[in-house]
Order: sequence, then structure tokens, then C-alpha cells
Amino acid sequence: MTTDTPTDVPADSPTDGGPAPVTGAGPGRLAWQRRRRSLVRFWTRYRTHRAGVVGLVALAVFALAALTAPLTVGSDVAGVTDAPGRPMESPSGEFPLGTDRFGRDLLGLLVWGSRVSLLVGLLAAVLSVAIGTLVGVTAGHFKGGYATVLMRVTDWFLVMPTLVLAIALATVMSRSLGTVVLAIGVTSWPTTARLVRAQTLAVESRPYIERAKALGGGHWHVMSRHVLPNVMPLVLAQATLMVSAAILAEATLAFLGLGDPTVVSWGGLLQEAREAGAVSSGDWWYLVPPGIAIAAVALSFTLCGRAVESVLNPRLGVDR
Amino acid sequence: MSTQVHGRGLSGPRRSRPRVARLVAVVGAATLTLSAGLATPLDPAPQQASAAESKSVLTVAVAQSVDSLSPFLAQRLVSTSIHRLMYEYLTNYDPKDNHAVPGLATKWESSADKLTWTYTIRPDSTWSDGQQATAEDAAWTFNTMMTDEGAATTNGSFVSNFRKVTAPSPTQLVIELKKPQATMTALDVPIVPKHVWEKVDDFSKFNNDKSFPVVGNGPFVLTDYKPDSYVRLKPNKSFWRGAPKFDELVFRYYKDQDAAVAALRKGEVSFVAGSPSLTPAQAASLKNEKNIRVNDAPGRRFYALATNPGAKAKNGRKFGDGDPSLLDERVRHALFMAVDRQAIIDKVFQGHAVEGEGYIPPRFSQYFWKPSASQELAYDPARAAQLLDQAGYKKNSSGKRLGKDGKPITYRVLCHATDPNDKAVGQYLEEWWGKLGIGVTLDCLDNVTDPWLAGTYDLAFDGWSVNPDPDFVLSIHTCAALPATPKDTGATDNFVCDKRYDDLYARQLAEYDPAKRATLVQQMESRLYDLGYMNVMAYPNAVEAYRTDQIKSIRTMPSAAGNIYGQDGYWSWWSAVPAASDSSSDGSGSTGAVIGGVVAAVVLVGAGVFFVLRRRSTADDRE
Amino acid sequence: MSSVQKAAAPALAGPAARTPRARTGTAYVRYGAGKVGGAAVSLLAVLVTGFFLFRLIPGDPVKTMTGGRPVSAAQLDAYRREFGLDLPLWQQFTDYCGKALTGDLGTSYQFRAPVVDKIGEALPNTLLLTGTAFVLYTALGIVLGTRAAWRHGRLGDRLNTGLALTLYSVPSFWLGLLLIIVFSVGIGPIPGLFPTGGMESGGEEGLGYVLDVAHHLVLPVLTLVAVEYGQTLLVTRSALLDEMGSDYLTTARAKGLRDDLVRRRHAVPNALLPTVTLVFVNLGRTVAGVILVETVFSWPGLGGLFYQALSVPDLPLVQGLFLFFAAAVIIMNTLADLLYPLLDPRVGR
Repeated sequence: MTTDTPTDVPADSPTDGGPAPVTGAGPGRLAWQRRRRSLVRFWTRYRTHRAGVVGLVALAVFALAALTAPLTVGSDVAGVTDAPGRPMESPSGEFPLGTDRFGRDLLGLLVWGSRVSLLVGLLAAVLSVAIGTLVGVTAGHFKGGYATVLMRVTDWFLVMPTLVLAIALATVMSRSLGTVVLAIGVTSWPTTARLVRAQTLAVESRPYIERAKALGGGHWHVMSRHVLPNVMPLVLAQATLMVSAAILAEATLAFLGLGDPTVVSWGGLLQEAREAGAVSSGDWWYLVPPGIAIAAVALSFTLCGRAVESVLNPRLGVDR
Repeated sequence: MSTQVHGRGLSGPRRSRPRVARLVAVVGAATLTLSAGLATPLDPAPQQASAAESKSVLTVAVAQSVDSLSPFLAQRLVSTSIHRLMYEYLTNYDPKDNHAVPGLATKWESSADKLTWTYTIRPDSTWSDGQQATAEDAAWTFNTMMTDEGAATTNGSFVSNFRKVTAPSPTQLVIELKKPQATMTALDVPIVPKHVWEKVDDFSKFNNDKSFPVVGNGPFVLTDYKPDSYVRLKPNKSFWRGAPKFDELVFRYYKDQDAAVAALRKGEVSFVAGSPSLTPAQAASLKNEKNIRVNDAPGRRFYALATNPGAKAKNGRKFGDGDPSLLDERVRHALFMAVDRQAIIDKVFQGHAVEGEGYIPPRFSQYFWKPSASQELAYDPARAAQLLDQAGYKKNSSGKRLGKDGKPITYRVLCHATDPNDKAVGQYLEEWWGKLGIGVTLDCLDNVTDPWLAGTYDLAFDGWSVNPDPDFVLSIHTCAALPATPKDTGATDNFVCDKRYDDLYARQLAEYDPAKRATLVQQMESRLYDLGYMNVMAYPNAVEAYRTDQIKSIRTMPSAAGNIYGQDGYWSWWSAVPAASDSSSDGSGSTGAVIGGVVAAVVLVGAGVFFVLRRRSTADDRE
Repeated sequence: MSSVQKAAAPALAGPAARTPRARTGTAYVRYGAGKVGGAAVSLLAVLVTGFFLFRLIPGDPVKTMTGGRPVSAAQLDAYRREFGLDLPLWQQFTDYCGKALTGDLGTSYQFRAPVVDKIGEALPNTLLLTGTAFVLYTALGIVLGTRAAWRHGRLGDRLNTGLALTLYSVPSFWLGLLLIIVFSVGIGPIPGLFPTGGMESGGEEGLGYVLDVAHHLVLPVLTLVAVEYGQTLLVTRSALLDEMGSDYLTTARAKGLRDDLVRRRHAVPNALLPTVTLVFVNLGRTVAGVILVETVFSWPGLGGLFYQALSVPDLPLVQGLFLFFAAAVIIMNTLADLLYPLLDPRVGR
């Protein structure tokens, strides 16, 4: 039975049975039901990966903390003139994680800084994946000279040490969050591009694509209606892994002094700690919590990404 | 046989025996190597200890790496400090009160018309290769700077007013000036040996790092140099003021301040200067350490807020884009009055600074000036808001002050990305001026020189180290320091150009009577304060630390209370007396080396044993 | 992660990009020449990009270096002429390329020494650090990866993988700072055993010098190994798990070979192929790690030099370093490309 639906389930992943029963609804409604079933299927299998679930829970906690930050700590926590404590106090009842060099509550700063760190990580990853997908799909679809040029450029970017490039970019532009997002996004899209291109080539070799073209489907139709949905799961897995890398990159750039100094972020806290001499004074409370936060978020995204990968492509992911 | 095919369960117990045996073997090897390592005759500890017993080393942790060993090219403080130790200047500064004392020159006098200066060069100064240091060397040094572009890179400004320099006899140096110059007893120019340097053909490329020891006549002789790592000096036994007491002086480069402080704690270095001083947290944690003394003394720097007066060149052409509202003196005063200097001292410097007043720091007591009560711009946010209202910059409905163009005012503040104090104070400014209704964009850059020189800033953090003769820091605010055209660069610090200030400057430069000159300088400081283009927020202390079990005594400058590193003169390192205790510091270094060797050995031996045993177990199990 | 690495490995690994290549001599030479040619093109591209990218950095190097001193326009022009900055951009570029081909990368503005010399001074230090770390983390990753794969699903595997993933997510500079606090500064009663930075304490000769450097090397290498071994471990593990389902292994076991031998002699060598290419290709991340570690530990290598150069901007030095970093990665990739067909007889059929 043929179904002219926009989404197509990858031919090599197990389905739970035959096509949907025709209930008399239009193709749109059918598509919805099919999507919902795929999602349920996806979740059932994702749930079996314990590590992935742990990662997801942790992410939910962090997201909750970040979103409710304006309510729980409020932006006043970042104010320097009305800082409640003395500079560099050690942890006490009043300040569970001590104070920073201005006398601000470090626990509050940690929660407040999660917004920037998560936001920058997400934005940079989205930018990177968007560029990579665009490049990969078009390169895989069009082939020919255009694709060769594009792949050469991709290879060139792959070869460039990303941190060096990001530092150079951040130095050229002014110090702001936008610069950091741009610097990370622009330097880390090649891996996605390569993957997406390989997948595009694989998808385009399937018979139904040929059929769609024969039926008069133009480039845009094929790319958006056929290739993109099939490439999406891979892109999703990539994006999750990319967020992890982007968060680490943001922390690195902030630590190196290339971020916005007036904005509170985890990497920025680490840089302030170092500048204030916390390392040699043994003020561990300034140094340890932001690093743990960065590692925890990066790890959670990595775990989720790996779980998503193994759900979508059982051949690749081998662990539970 | 078939039991082994299915692997795990059945071969479990058989597998564990080789595993246990392996573990035992590794542990045994480790213990063996450890004890061997401690007893080995290759242990450098005995050699180190015996060497150290006869050799006292003063190790200074510096935060800059040397840019050039040539006194004609070097700009960085670490390089000029080292040159002060290698080469004598004509005069030096007394460590008690900064007045000029003999250096290479024993006497000096000026002619009646103030244009000719005659210096008597001492007969007892020899270069480290044995040759006599004479007036000819001094004349040659100055003449080279006057004629060669490359040689004038660092200190060309000192000789720009020289007409002719001659050495009529080996002990007499005559300098003829174009105009009177009161700074002739403060010529901070290293005198180099003519017989060595006349062989140099390109001064702009010669870095003086090709042959060691480097020939000089200062208290120390440079013996070794590794770029980005260290500089080693040995005492000059024939130094006319007396040889230094330490057997070796090493400047070691620590990029990271914390690493330097930790090294001090462990005894790897004897002295840490900080860049420019230790942070309050570091000072606090070191104060409680046994055998470490923290030197928290009045500093020689001022830390100020510079306001853009509208950049212009000497030919009258304006450039840059400083905010026009800053041209109103009331606005400048208002901005400064909204800066809570006490909070800066308290929170940012945590007590390691003195509140700023006049331009010149208080430790230069001769020239120090403070405003009277009526002249002072005290911290008064309410009055500041009033002033802004009076000047016509009123708040709109959302609390932001509008400029003459009807748009909310936002000032760009230039800050040095590498200076944490700039960033901290910048955040405070954002909030204080925010309450006034003025926006702040903090531009923290690695390279502030460019926007500064182009005049594309509104305010900036500024600071200089002041010398006993304040001429330099005064000259950078004269109209003569402006660039000739917008395309040139000038010596100007902040494009200040005021006729009254310039008049006073010219008079003090030609005034050879110290008391009269001091009065003129104080009048200049008053004028600068009123202008409001350069207001000093604080005088940061010099915060340094050294080990008392390596250094018994060391002279600060001023002697009563001052800094040790970066002095005007070589007093600190020259006068330092080693502590008589044992060489515990070197001990830790060699213990470390032993540990390093042991760890490496353990890893190698352990790995080797591991693989050997695996092979053996396989053979055992083979049927 | 496994999918990322497999696709990032040379195109040979991807099903869509496999082109037939025979293992005969001439075909290999043609293939090799192609790869080397590609590498040369990449290098040229890096040269071009490096040149133009860093001209974007705000800052007139001549003004930066003379700032604060009265310099006439004529003098500034003289400086510009000396540094070749007065020529039109295209001419500067061709001059630079021409000189680069002969090995002259220009003279550093701030150190007034040839760029090649400055890089040469710092390179051995960085190589020492990177090389040691590389050997250790590759070995550790492979050994632990194979063990984890073989004990797939059990506690040892889970712990191993978990630890690897955790350390991989930790920012390397933060780990470095922690190690300094714990092992250098010392907490509580534990004294600091290792130096806080630098490469040597100075003044040692011969064996003493070697041990001194080794002593200083421990913490930086430990930091790098901890952060990097995870990836090697994970790739080895997944590659091995892939292999483990293969038919030929079942045959081997059926023949009566010990598990150990099956693993060591058959599964691991075949599974190592993607690891080998990964290890070369991963150099980009290692470069980043090295820059951070050198900064934290004040190691006198290329990372620190890069920093000093960026602030002026010391254009020749920055370009030279950029070229050097990229060249290292390109060379490693090319080596991997050349090595792969030799290791894997399946490629090319």
C-alpha cells in the first residue's frame, strides 16, 4: 500500500506493524497520527536507555532552575553596589557557597549564570546545526561543482583548530554574548555538514525519491519534504551533542577573557575566580561549583545525545 | 577445552588467579622502585644541597617576559628593571627621599645660562670585561640615541632637547641643551660600553642576547637568558658601591599569578611582585604564612578616570568621536562626584589603596598636592544629579538623561581586558551612573591603544607609575604632546590641551630651584583637577611578598615604606641580604625531581610487568 | 558519539563516499599523490585565510607599538615600510606567500626576531607536552575501551564508560586549576607535591634537568590525558562492539580459541581501524586542550605565544602560529588517509 505522506519512516528501523487504518480523515490527520505514534515509539525505546533518562532528568532540573531564576534569585543578585557580603567570604549559613570578589552570593550567581550559559550553548548549537544542515543537504542534493566547492570549504573548516579560530573571531569582534554565539556557531558546523551530506546521499538513493522526481517534484520539494524529515533525527542527535560542546566552548572563551565581563556566566565566574587569586588562596568554593555545573550540563546533553543516537540508529549506538 | 569457549562463568576462578598475581607483581615493583629511587646515588638532592649551601640565590617571580635585552629597544618594566641592574645611569635616586645622588657621575653643575651641564664621571667604575667606564661611553650612548632612529626607540624623549654631547676628557661629560631642562639630574638612560656596542650595525634589530655574560658596569652582570623562562644575573664583584650579597639573582617568568604565589609558598621563588600587585585574596592568605612577609606599602601609581576632551591634532584638526556632552565641565565634575571612591578602596582594592586626590601620589611628598575643601569633588550623588540638571541634561520619563540631540546618553568606557580592577570598577560605574540616568558601555579590550589613539572613546581607565622627577607624567598632558596631524601619533595621554597648564609646565621645566619648581608643579595639579579630564580615583598600594627564610633584609624605596620591585634604582636587589638558614627551598625542588623520576619509573615498570605477566598466563593456560 | 567520529573519519569510512581503490602499487601511489595534493591545497587555503582573517583584527600594529611616544607621521611611515604595511594588500599578500614558500614567515613585531625562530623555541616544549599526553591517552583509551567492550553491560563497563564520559565533559582548564590546588598548593595536611607551573625550576643539568622537566610535566599531562582519553575509549569500545557480532569471531570461538586470543588477535586489530583514524583526526581538539593547559600551567609553548601575539596584534607571529596549528592537523589527516588503505585490506575492493 502506498501512502503519499510527507514523512517517511526509515526503511531499516522496525515498525510496529502495518499502515494506519483508514478512518476517513484526510492525509493531514493521518500524518499527525503517524507522527504521534513515531514519537511514542521513540520514547518507549529511549526510556530503556538508563543513561539517557538520567541525562534528561538532569537537564529538566537545570532548565527549571534557569527558567525560574528571575523568581528565585532575581537579577539583583548580580548587582555589585548592593552586594550583601564581604568579598571572598567562605561558605557559611548565610552564603552556602560563600561570596565572590564583589561580595555577591555565589549560589545565587550560579543559578543566575545558568541562564546565560544554557542560552549561549543552545543558541550556538542551533546556529551550528542550522548551518551544517543547510550546507549538508544542499551539497548532498545538488552534487556537481557547487557541492565540491562546499565540501572543500567544509574540509577546510574541519582542519582548522576550532578554538584558535573562535579566539581569533572573538578578538576581532566586540566582547558580547552575540560574538560568543557567532564564534562558536561559525566554527563548529562542519561535522554536522559532513554527516548530513552522507545521510542525504543515502536518502536520495532510495526509490521513492526517484519516484517523487519523476512525478515532477522540484528541488525544494524533494529537499524539504523528503530529505529533511529523514535527516532530522540525525540532526537532532547531533544538535544535542553539539550543545554539550558549545557550553564547554562558551566556558572556555569566557575563561580566556573573550566574553562579556558584565554578564554573569559560569565561565565568567571561573575567570573572575582566577583573577581574584582564588587558586593560590585555596578558595575552592569560588572555583569548584561553576566547573561542576558546566560538567554536569555538558554530561547530561552528551548522555541524551548518545541515547537519541542509539534509538534512531541501532547499528551505531550499542549501549543501553 | 569446551569450558573456555563459553568464556565468562566457568573460566572465572581460573582467570582471577593470574589477575591477583599481576596485581601483587605491580605493587611489588612499585615498592621496589620507590625504595630504589630514594636510595639511588643518582638522586640530585645531595648535590643540590651541597651546592645550595655555598650559593645563595634570590629568585624573583615576574609576570612579564622580557621583550628585548637591548636598553635601546625594551619597553617592559621587567626589561628596564633588569637594565637598571646591568648598566649604571648618570645619577641615581636616594632611597630615603628620592633626591638625586651620584651614579656614574659624581658631581654635576649647570652653567649660568642654564644651557650647559657638566658631569664629572667617576674613575672607579669598570666594565665587567675589565675596561674602564669613561665619559666617552656616556657621550657615545647619548649621541647614538640622537642620531640613530632605532636607538631612540625607548629613551629618545630624554635627548630630544640635546644640542651637543661631548666628552672632553675621560672624566668629563658636557651636554649642551637647546632650552633649559630641569630633568638633567633624572636622566634614566642606561649608559652602554662603546667598545662593545659600536660594532652593532642595526639598532632596531639587535637584541643584545647573542653573547653572555653581557658586558655592563652595574651591580649585576647578566649571565644567561632563556626567552619566556628566566634571566640569570651574577653579582659584579668590582662594583664601586659594593658588591651585592647574593650569589645569584634569577628573574623567573610566571604567566599565572597564582602559580607564582604557590611557588613562593613552596619556596621555589624568594619574591613575588604581582602584576601590578598581589590581589587582596592572595595577600590575605599569605599574611598568615610562616616565613613569608607581605610588603603592603604606598605605591607609586595613580589610577584615574580619563575623559575625552575631543581629540585634536597640533594643526587644529579634530578627529575621533568623543561625546560632546563631556566638553561641559559640569558634566565631568558630576560624573566624578558620582564615583564612590571609598567603595572602590574598600571593595575593589579591599583596603590596599589610598583614596585619590591630586595627580601625584602622596609618597612623592615634595610634589604631592591635595584639593582644598571648597575645591574638592567629594562623593555626592545628589549634587551630581543637580549639576547635570543645571547643565541641561534632564531625565526623561524612564529615568534616562537625554543629550542635546534628544537621545539617551550612553558613554563608552575603555577598559583593559587584562586588568581585573578595570573590569570591577567598570561594573560599579555602570550602576552608579545608571542611578544618575546615564548609560555605560564597558569596552574591555586586549588592545586599547587603537581606539585610544583614534579618540573613539568617551571615558577610559588610566594610570601611570610616577618617577621621582614627575616631568614625564606632566608632559603627557601638554599641547606639545598632541600629534602633529591626525595621521601621526603623539606622546599625549588623553588629548588634554590647556594654555594655563602649558605655561606652568614650561616654567617648571626651566626652574632649577627645587622649592619653586615644586610649587609650580602643585599649581599644575590643581589646574588639572579643576579641568576634570583626569581625575584620580585611587593610589593602589604596592603589594608584594617574600620569604624571610631566604631573604633576611631588603631595602624598600622609600626606605621607610615602599616597594621592592620596580624601584627607581637598584637598591632592593643590591642591598638584599641572604638569610643564614639551610637551603630548604632547594630540597623541595630535588625531592620533587625524585618524585617525578619515581612516578615515571613506576609507570614504566608497572606496565612492563603487567604485559609480561599477561603473556605468561596465556602460556600457562595454553593447553 | 560513535556516529560523529565515524563520519568525521576520512571519507573512506562513509558508505556513500567509498571509491574503488586497488592495493596495487601504482594505484596507491596515485591515491597517495591525490591526498598529498589535497593537503597542499588545504595548506594554501589556510595561508590565504590566515593572512586576511588577522588583518581584520582591530588595531594598527604600528600605532600599538609606538603608542605613548611622540612619533611623527614620517616615522610611522618608516615603520610601516619596514613591516611592509604600506604596500597594497595584494602585494603584501604575494610577498608573504612568496616568502612563506622559502620558509621565511616574517619577523615578529614585538620580539623583533624571525617568526620561525620564535616558533622553533616554543615548539619542542609543546611537542613534549602533547606527545607524552597523546601516547598516554591513546594507550589508555584503547586498553580501557577494549576491556569495556569485552565486559559489555557489566559493572566494569558501565563504570568505565561513565567515568570517561564525565571526564570528557569537564572543562580542561578547570580540571587543571583543581589539580593545581590539590597537588601543587596542597589542601589541609597534604603538602603540594608538584610544581605550580613552568617547565623547569632552572639551574639543573643533565639527568637533574630531565627529572626536573618530568616533575613539571606530570600535572599538565595528567590534565590532558584525563580529558582526552574518554573519546578514544568510547570509539574503541563501540568499534569493538560492532566487530564482536561478526561471523568470523563466532567461527574463531567455535574453533576453540580462548576468549582472550579471539579478542586480542582478531577483534581488536580490526576494530582499531576507526580508532586509528580518529586519533589522527582528533588533533584539532587536542590543540585546543594544549592551548588551555599551557595557559593554566604557564608552560612555555605555542599556546602562550599565540596569546601574546594576538594582543598587539603581532601579525606575522599570529599568522605563523595559525598556519602551524592548521598544518599540523592537515598533516595528521593526510597521514591518516595514507595509512588507512594500508591497514584495512577491505578498502579498495
